[in-house]
Amino acid sequence: MSILMNDSTRVIVQGITGRIGSIQAHWMLDYGTKVVGGVTPDKGGTIVEGLPVFNSVHEAVKETGANASVFFVPAAFVLDAFMETVDAGVKLIVIVPEHIPVRDVMKMRNYALEKGVFALGPTTPGILVPGKGKMGIMPASMFRPGRVGVISRSGTLSYEFAGILSENNVGQSTVVGMGADPVVLRNLADILELFEEDDGTDAVIVVGEVGGEQEEKAAGFIARRMTKPVAAYIAGRYSPQGKRMGHAGAIVRGASGTVAGKHEALKAAGATVLESPIHVIEWTLKHNLK
Amino acid sequence: MRLHEYEALDIFEKNGIPVPRRGIASTMHEALHVAGEIGYPVILKAQVLLGGRGLAGGIKTASSPDELKDEAEALLGSDIKGLPVLKLLVCEKVEIAKEIYLGFTIDGYSGKPVIVVSTEGGIFIEETARTAPEKIASYHIDSSFAFYPYQARALLRRLGISQKHITSWTDVIIQLYNVVMRYEALICEINPLVVLPNGGLIAVDAVLEVDDSAITRVRFPLPDRVERIDNALERRGREIGVTYVDLNGDIGLISSGAGLGMASTDIIGEKMKPANFLETGGGITADLLYKCMELIMMKPGLRAIFINVYGGINPIHEGAKGVVRYIQEHNLKIPIVAKALGNRQEETWEIFRSGGVHVVTEAATEKAINRLYELVGRG
Repeated sequence: MSILMNDSTRVIVQGITGRIGSIQAHWMLDYGTKVVGGVTPDKGGTIVEGLPVFNSVHEAVKETGANASVFFVPAAFVLDAFMETVDAGVKLIVIVPEHIPVRDVMKMRNYALEKGVFALGPTTPGILVPGKGKMGIMPASMFRPGRVGVISRSGTLSYEFAGILSENNVGQSTVVGMGADPVVLRNLADILELFEEDDGTDAVIVVGEVGGEQEEKAAGFIARRMTKPVAAYIAGRYSPQGKRMGHAGAIVRGASGTVAGKHEALKAAGATVLESPIHVIEWTLKHNLK
Repeated sequence: MRLHEYEALDIFEKNGIPVPRRGIASTMHEALHVAGEIGYPVILKAQVLLGGRGLAGGIKTASSPDELKDEAEALLGSDIKGLPVLKLLVCEKVEIAKEIYLGFTIDGYSGKPVIVVSTEGGIFIEETARTAPEKIASYHIDSSFAFYPYQARALLRRLGISQKHITSWTDVIIQLYNVVMRYEALICEINPLVVLPNGGLIAVDAVLEVDDSAITRVRFPLPDRVERIDNALERRGREIGVTYVDLNGDIGLISSGAGLGMASTDIIGEKMKPANFLETGGGITADLLYKCMELIMMKPGLRAIFINVYGGINPIHEGAKGVVRYIQEHNLKIPIVAKALGNRQEETWEIFRSGGVHVVTEAATEKAINRLYELVGRG
């Protein structure tokens, strides 16, 4: 099986009439995703990639039975489109665009949680279930079906890990980009929980990076709840640290968000810490993963 | 975008927060002039965008024109943690009865704004947070972003602040939150907010970081985002729309994502030294990668270049054309290794090879960097 997407997932593409939206709709269809339509206000009635375009999400849902949406909407319009999508009853939303104001993301996050919507991003490559379908921009050639789950803060590193696994004949159950922004719509621990409960997943790779406290909090979940093996890689060890100003973040978190701090928390929780992406191969061999 | 202290103080002042008399100086003579108007003693504060400036020697006191000349000359043109001191803020020296910490930030994990107050302000505030948490109080604001004076008053009562101070402190907290809302701040902080012997308050420091993604909708004037970047290469990066960070090594890097770029600098850093971090984000075109090549080649002494890109949202075949055009126009001879995977990868490899680029077709960045190492060694 898989998490988040399955055979009954019917996807609409918001911003489908844009340059990126139309290309990505093409790649998603090409991968076998059930894309059923698109939405761009004022472009209703047109056809893109053979798909009907609607003026509103409500109309798209009514006409196509869509239950999931992927966004290629310009950053300034994402908040509005997101609220519309939640109100239209869509329960799975993927926000690909970057540069969305943090205040907008906080509003979106709170609304989604309140309404029971599972949303990913912003700045996410989306979700891909190998051999089945994808919502977002992940390049299909990197993936193959299997039983390892991948969650990544970085889009490009999710491809890197899937690529290394695939080259070594280890497939993936689902690959999830959680988004790279300081505030994301769903936290890492929530996605780990889905993998823990998924029959089709035997082990999970967490690809994190320096900053914030997603990995530290996820370590708490791993220690308490995860029965499946977890490996984690944290990018940014030799990267220049931001010339940090202000103390409030460190006071609230009580943790510095450094690579070393994340390693420590994850190790203490029983996860395997990978010093470099290529070390994931040894871990898959040790756990006999496929 | 991080604002300099003097810029943030101006904004705080416009929003009703009490600030010291002050002026900005780029030369010793300007500093003398400002100090003459304010009256001695004065504080000289190096305007560099980093935390821990005081501990690094960037803040000095001058009690006379002679002292000011010495201190200003020593500070101007010096470096603090690698950042050049181009401007000094000359401030009146206020009498301190007590130092308060007042800060706002975004709690990324809960996705909420948070206000933090402490009765023990000053440079050791983070230590206080660990050793004496009872001296710190914080409040998470809900998604309506409404923050009322009664909530500030309750916060102060939790810290045991006496009733005679609560109204004036609350005023400053609310004014600071107004700045946060008006300027789309990610960080907004006063450390310390000084309590004067007469009970009055004055913000002797100001930290303000504005959300880059929201700058275009801020309705109040802000300084130019590009001009303020001191490093010429980093400024050029901002101009062409990529993130460039100048590092000390000699291996150039172009990557198509921040995570991939960080992993690349980590792996390069194990055996060689990265000259830069560069990530394009999702906007690759032939022209952009041509400009990225120009940018990384501005750094003298590059021994090799590593290109690490994925074709998810990016048309990497277009990017490859820009790289090859640069190589051919400039007759570039240093080794270039490219790992480019994803949509239209075979086409991309052909284009790279036509320009003499070493193409690695496996996913692991480590293997590509090993190839680079075989070509150029430790250096």
